[in-house]
Amino acid sequence: MGNIKRIAIVLLVLLIGSVVAACAGATNAPAPTSAPAAPTSAPAATNAPAATSAPAAGATPTQNAADIKPPSSGENVINMYSDDDSNIRDWLTNKIIPAFLQKFPQYKVNLISVRGVGNGPRDIADRAKAALDTNSDPLADILVFDCTTYPALRQADLWVKLDDTNVPNRKNVINSIKTSDCSQPYRGSQVLLAYDSTKVPENEVPHTFTDLLAWIKAHPGQFVYCRPDKGGSGSNFVVRAIYEVTGKDPSLFKPGDPDPALLAKFPDAWKLLRDIHSAIYDNGAYPAGNTQVQTLLANGSVSMASVWSDQSLQALQKGVYPPTIKLVQLNDLPFPGGYNYLSVPKNSRNVKGALEFINFLLEPDNQVSVVKDLGGFPAVDWSLLPKDLQQQYTSVITSNVPSWPGGKWTTELYKGWYDNVATNIKQGSP
Amino acid sequence: METAQLTTARPAPAVPARRDWSALFAYLLISPPLLVLTLLIFIPAAQAVIETLSTTDAATGQTTLTLQNYIAFFQDPILVANLEFTIQITIATVALLFVIGFPLALYLRFSKSRIAAAVQVLALFPLFVPGVILSFALIEFLGSHGMFDTMLNLIGIQGYRTPYQHLQGIVIALVWENIPFTVLILTAGLRQVEDAVVESARDVGANFWQIFTRILLPLSKRSAMIVLCLNIIGVFGAFTIPYLLGPAQPMTMGVSMQQTFNRYEDRTGALTQAVITFLFCAVVGVLYVRTITQPREGQR
Amino acid sequence: MSTPFTSAQTANAPVRLPPANFSKWLKAIRRDAFGILMLVALFIVIIGPMIAVILWAFTQPGGWRYPSLIPTRWGLNYWADTLMRADVTRALPLSIGLATVVTALSAAICLPAAYAFARMNFPGRQALLLSFLATNAFPRFGLYISIAIIFFRLGLIATIPGVILIQIVNTLLLMIWIPTSAFQGVDRTLEEAALDVGASRVRVFLQVTLPLVLPALAAALLLTFVSTFYEAQGALLIGIPNVITMPVLMYDIINSQPEPQYGAVISLVLWLPSLLLLLFAQRFVRGGAISAGFGV
Repeated sequence: MGNIKRIAIVLLVLLIGSVVAACAGATNAPAPTSAPAAPTSAPAATNAPAATSAPAAGATPTQNAADIKPPSSGENVINMYSDDDSNIRDWLTNKIIPAFLQKFPQYKVNLISVRGVGNGPRDIADRAKAALDTNSDPLADILVFDCTTYPALRQADLWVKLDDTNVPNRKNVINSIKTSDCSQPYRGSQVLLAYDSTKVPENEVPHTFTDLLAWIKAHPGQFVYCRPDKGGSGSNFVVRAIYEVTGKDPSLFKPGDPDPALLAKFPDAWKLLRDIHSAIYDNGAYPAGNTQVQTLLANGSVSMASVWSDQSLQALQKGVYPPTIKLVQLNDLPFPGGYNYLSVPKNSRNVKGALEFINFLLEPDNQVSVVKDLGGFPAVDWSLLPKDLQQQYTSVITSNVPSWPGGKWTTELYKGWYDNVATNIKQGSP
Repeated sequence: METAQLTTARPAPAVPARRDWSALFAYLLISPPLLVLTLLIFIPAAQAVIETLSTTDAATGQTTLTLQNYIAFFQDPILVANLEFTIQITIATVALLFVIGFPLALYLRFSKSRIAAAVQVLALFPLFVPGVILSFALIEFLGSHGMFDTMLNLIGIQGYRTPYQHLQGIVIALVWENIPFTVLILTAGLRQVEDAVVESARDVGANFWQIFTRILLPLSKRSAMIVLCLNIIGVFGAFTIPYLLGPAQPMTMGVSMQQTFNRYEDRTGALTQAVITFLFCAVVGVLYVRTITQPREGQR
Repeated sequence: MSTPFTSAQTANAPVRLPPANFSKWLKAIRRDAFGILMLVALFIVIIGPMIAVILWAFTQPGGWRYPSLIPTRWGLNYWADTLMRADVTRALPLSIGLATVVTALSAAICLPAAYAFARMNFPGRQALLLSFLATNAFPRFGLYISIAIIFFRLGLIATIPGVILIQIVNTLLLMIWIPTSAFQGVDRTLEEAALDVGASRVRVFLQVTLPLVLPALAAALLLTFVSTFYEAQGALLIGIPNVITMPVLMYDIINSQPEPQYGAVISLVLWLPSLLLLLFAQRFVRGGAISAGFGV
């Protein structure tokens, strides 16, 4: 028995499988395994300025949203695929869609979430293209997707061309955000500064990025931004730093493979951010998301932070922030953000309904709802909204919101930030 | 109530008697779970390991066996710092678990008062609380300007530094989470020391410390070993709590591999980190296996 | 200072109300001073964080600001909000159903295997038994990448059978090891005595063996149910967006809502099943079945 035992033990040592419970991902049995996967790798930039960045599925490269089928399809059905965050979907489901159905009772609207699944709406776009080639039903009518991020499909003429005739309200939309005729922006959100007006007197509020950096250094521990991969309010702060060292010209950054000349300037941005690193809250403790930053601001642990406009306006409305929290945008170049775009594949079985829905979103009432209920920014010109609303938001109105191309640019941003700014290891001389 | 007697007191026969046809039948019985295990764990794991041990030349498509990925890991100061961070957390957590768990186990073993019953309920309370809820609760309780901070303020203590987003926060949460398991196993191990043994030691005048070091500790080595091994493995690979409560950098291995895969889109790097984590746990695992395959004290 | 041993002497007498005489009262305290100390310390450390959650769950919007110790404005606003969400009312029965099915299936395939491991001898028995430890050995995360590919080929992504399968994988360890240990611990002489008086093998199994292992089996079933109910990583990866379990839904909410009240309500709702099970399971957990399962 002893020998057999020894052989068994040796075998176990050699066998990969001869080890014990609960290594990584699971805690000790009997404690339950509770491990949410990391947040989605889709950055909160052009496609979906995610108001919150909740932990969703880690996107495995092989999981495909195109496998998701809507409950029904046809000329009275509108299948809309969205990777928006839950508050946007709630808004659509509880407010917009019922109002739409009241006006257009002949339709049925299916809002399908593809958040965190593969490449989300992009996979659905691929499926629509495949359907186009095989003359079948793409099972999709509206995609929350900016067609300019996928030039190949645009060239293949997949999308319905949008103009003032088939989407009448398009003429009211801010010109500079109409980046193409294959997608329609309908709401926006940008990152701003939120500050506690009881701790920051009006004359000290910074209005340029340089002033902000100076303020941060002069008030150690009073400013915070979140980790860029966990929340758009943090990533857009980092992007703004990158813009600062590249001539404040966002148009230099084009979708696709990162330009090496621009990448070479990233270390300057890391230097800027590393400079203020020890002045950040709790000696450089970057919270793990937009929500956590809001909490710190709300309970007075910091006096200023970079935040999403829609989240903050909602926070003020719901009493999460005390009324002494004020919002302000930078004057020289605003913090980035983004607009949300909708596209319609031309082989959709209900193009008419899809266009009517998009047009409906651009109605003045619904644009006001974007501001009031979502805390977002309208896609139509501010001047078309009620005067009292314009007055309420004067300090944050801009006519345009710069946005970041995402994709591989973002990967570089994440890695660069984690390795150079957040780390406590001394890098070589900067 | 004392089902413990039935499952631990009677010795199981060393080797069951029959072989022959029953071996075939036995294989039949174990094949369903074994199949699931092989298809969904062993094969993917083997694939992952092979992937980390090879590199494919993009130009020629030729695959060669190499340790390059592992060398790269150890050459990256950020990743090595993550590994060190994980080791630090593991040592601190397991040490604290013993320091807290042993006195609790001793108390529960030898006291039968109602207070002891209450202590036991409390000690087992964290057993079924998921990590996400725990993290949320600790953030609200231990966070800056949270409940604990407020309580300290009320009695005049200023300057509270929150453990949230520091190593301390992770350790506190991991200790909280693993106390029930630790106390359970240690108590069970102590239960195997008969009351009579302790009584007779006291009868001859031994004091508490002597009883502890000369009788209890040696006789509960097995359960202490089990606690040590399983806790090390569980803590080393933990993901949820370090993810929710830890700092941006350094990260624990569990968080780092997710980050590498999801954010830096470096699949092979992530798998390499997974294999390294696995190897660390494997060493401890072998220790565990050797401990439990030894015969129990007083049996055979 | 009392020690665990001296308190054991008087342990048979339950703790009574303090006697009127002060010094007697002091003595009573000191007898179990260690216990009381532990109780208080544990209460603060273990229950303290949960109290923060409970308080938040009953706070009105904007009703609790630093530096107030407890909420200033109380209300049930967030309870109605949370419990009436369609996704919540859908996810809860789904999670309970899934956990039940997974536990039942896991028992069906693992219990016979556990019996085989415990009672039969065959080549490779020990190696195979110990290889079940491997289910949790390799970091789960590293496996999911490859597992996702397999599930895609099988067409199981975003289906209920797919989620069931991935969750069964997580249960294999507990469902094999604890019953194996239980079966091993059954006293053979009892069975042989029953056989000697002429009972059939089946009857012996049903009326002698089974009752003896039932507590440990119940413990294994319970632990499996709870850990499956709370399992999120597999369910998230395989199940969304069609199959959304309670934990997946909740974990998202807890970390993404600016109002802590939502997170607090969700935490309480999610935690309730485990609390109930803990109370119910006190017997099994303390009975030593689980410790035996880990080799103690």
